[in-house]
Formats: sequence, C-alpha cells, structure tokens
Amino acid sequence: MPQLSVGLETLHTLINSIHPLSEESWHEFQGIWRPFSAKRKELLTVAGERERYLYVVLEGVQRIYYFDDQLREATLVFTYAPSFGGVIDALMLQHPSRYFYETLTPSLFLRASIHDLQPLTEKHADISFLIRQGATLALSGVLERLVELQSYSAEERFKQLLRRSPHILQLVPHKYLANYLGMDATNFSKFINRMRM
Amino acid sequence: MTAIPHYELIELLEKRIELHLQQTIYSLQNLPESVLLQPAADGGWSIAQCLEHLNTYGDYYLPQIKIALSKASHSSPSRLFQSSWLGEYFIKMMEPETGKKKYKAFKGHIPAARLDAYATIAKFIQQQEELLSYVKQAKAVNLNEVRIPISITRLIRLKLGDVFQFIVAHDERHLQQAFRHLSTNG
Repeated sequence: MPQLSVGLETLHTLINSIHPLSEESWHEFQGIWRPFSAKRKELLTVAGERERYLYVVLEGVQRIYYFDDQLREATLVFTYAPSFGGVIDALMLQHPSRYFYETLTPSLFLRASIHDLQPLTEKHADISFLIRQGATLALSGVLERLVELQSYSAEERFKQLLRRSPHILQLVPHKYLANYLGMDATNFSKFINRMRM
Repeated sequence: MTAIPHYELIELLEKRIELHLQQTIYSLQNLPESVLLQPAADGGWSIAQCLEHLNTYGDYYLPQIKIALSKASHSSPSRLFQSSWLGEYFIKMMEPETGKKKYKAFKGHIPAARLDAYATIAKFIQQQEELLSYVKQAKAVNLNEVRIPISITRLIRLKLGDVFQFIVAHDERHLQQAFRHLSTNG
C-alpha cells in the first residue's frame, strides 16, 4: 500500500528528530503501524473508554478535548502532521481516557496498537527511550501552554498561536481556536478583524 | 424520476457539505468585517446576509431532521433512493446548474441588514457540522420513508433524501453568490 510506505517515511523522519533507532529496532518498530483514515468530525477516542492506539498524523487537524455533563468544554491540544496523536496519558497508563480525540478535518494516519507497541518497548531499550522522550516533549508543550494561558494577555495568546501554527486559521473553525485559547468567540473575532492577511 | 443508490447519495452529500465547510473555513471566516458586511455591487445581499439567509433554513430544518432521525431508528436503508416528483422539482430549482432563475426570498428567510458578521459565519459553520452529522446518522435509515414538512408550508412533506439534497443545493447556490460577490468586492 503506497500510503503505508509514505507514512513510514514520515514516521522515520519524525522519530529521527526525537531519538534515532538502531536498524534492528526500526525494522521491528515499523512493522506495527497500519494506515487509518477518518472524515471530518469523527470521534477516534471517547471519554470513559481506553485509548488503544498511538497515532502518527499524516494529514488533517485533530483535537483532544474535555467535555462534561455541565457542557464545559476545553480544547487541550491540536495535532497535525507530522506529529504523534492520541490521548497519550490514557494510552501509557492504560486507564480510561478522560478526554475525547476527534478529527476536525478529513485525516490520514498511521496507528499502532498498544498491544503491539508495549512488547517492543520492553525488548528494545532505544524504543523505550524514544517513547519516554516523545512523552516528555509532549509534557514540555503542555507546560509551556499553561504559562501562556496563565500569564499572557488574550492578544498575546492569539499572536502566539499564529506564530506557532499560521495555517490553522484556514483549516479549523474559529470556535475551536477560541476555545483552545480560552477566550470567547467575540474576542477572537476582534483579533481576526484587526489582522490583515 | 432517477434513482440513486443509498450509499452513493450519502457519499455525495458528505462530499458537498465537506466542500462548503472547507470554503467557508478557508476564506470567509478570516475576512475583515467590512468585506463581510459590504452590500453587493448590484445592491444585493452582503456575504454575511447570504449566509444568514442559509442559517434561517438551518434553524428550521435541522431540528426537524433531528426529530425525524430519532423517530426513524427502527427503519432500515433501502438499496435505492428515488426522489419524489415535487422533491426533484425543488432541488432542480435550487441547484445552481439547473436553476438559473432568481427567486425572491420567502418571509422568515429574509436576512436582516445589520448583522454580527462573525457570529453569522460561526453559526453557518456550526450548522454545516450538524448537517454533516445527520447525513452520517442517515446512513442507517430509509431516506424514502422518513419525511419532513417543508419550511414554506407544513402541509407538504418531502422525503429526507430530497430534503438533504434541497438544503445542499440551496447552500451551494448562496455560497456561490457570496463568492461571486467576494471576487468583485474583496
């Protein structure tokens, strides 16, 4: 399948930027990934259920979000190519996910089942290190975002989003971006209106 | 009346709604307010008014479709969908390709002159996402049997398959109007 080979190239580049694997480890590691696609607004992981997969995003934008019975909603993370996706804490701890993972645009992925991934991390020290390193980088991203949410002004948060992901305004409905930045839609529109593209 | 396989119709609807969403998200939602509210060169509706007009249809049809789908859980899809005579007539009237004539908007569907442009576009996107979710749900129901009363007179009930096609054709019609407007004014 051509999509698999292209996806594996993306995966290879991605892991080389985190922690390169030995040839033997890579050979086994690449064998556990399968192509997967989803249309817009499909739930890949549902709160209360287990996260069974680690994803590699090849195309499209997705979000991890919190949603509760009081209709409180928090968009926590956007994922897009080339990056890992899925509810990582639920995956690694193997407890029910507290969050949803959904596609915001039509999406292509590779994904690996935790049941295939787990044994490889036990067998190969470099794969185990790769996963730990990847998760730690994700933690760094979350901590950085906490700083922004707690101490930046709304306008600074908006500008920071544009710096980090300039393409996202043309791919994702504003309501998700406003929610991610912790501001209401009206405030978000003001910044859009002031911006000249 | 031409018949179309159930799954082909669903697929076609999904594709067209996806395209409408992409166009709106890529372009319209990021335009300055002044462009969105500018009346058309010929004195016609602004971009925001085009979308608000569509929103008034969504306000009526989406709750109707939701109710119909919740009642239709026992129905199962038939292999083919066949438009009714009247359904096909309305769809052709609205499809930009087959309905070249201009029509006056019906009462209750005339957009206000003063609009919150960004709220109007956000609402349109929200409605398109909702419509898409109903089309997905409709994979499992009989599009010939489920019927919806139409907005201009509750006495006429169209097949759900025709209502979906009517809404999508009508959306396309006024999105094209909005984009024509953008290319001359924007």
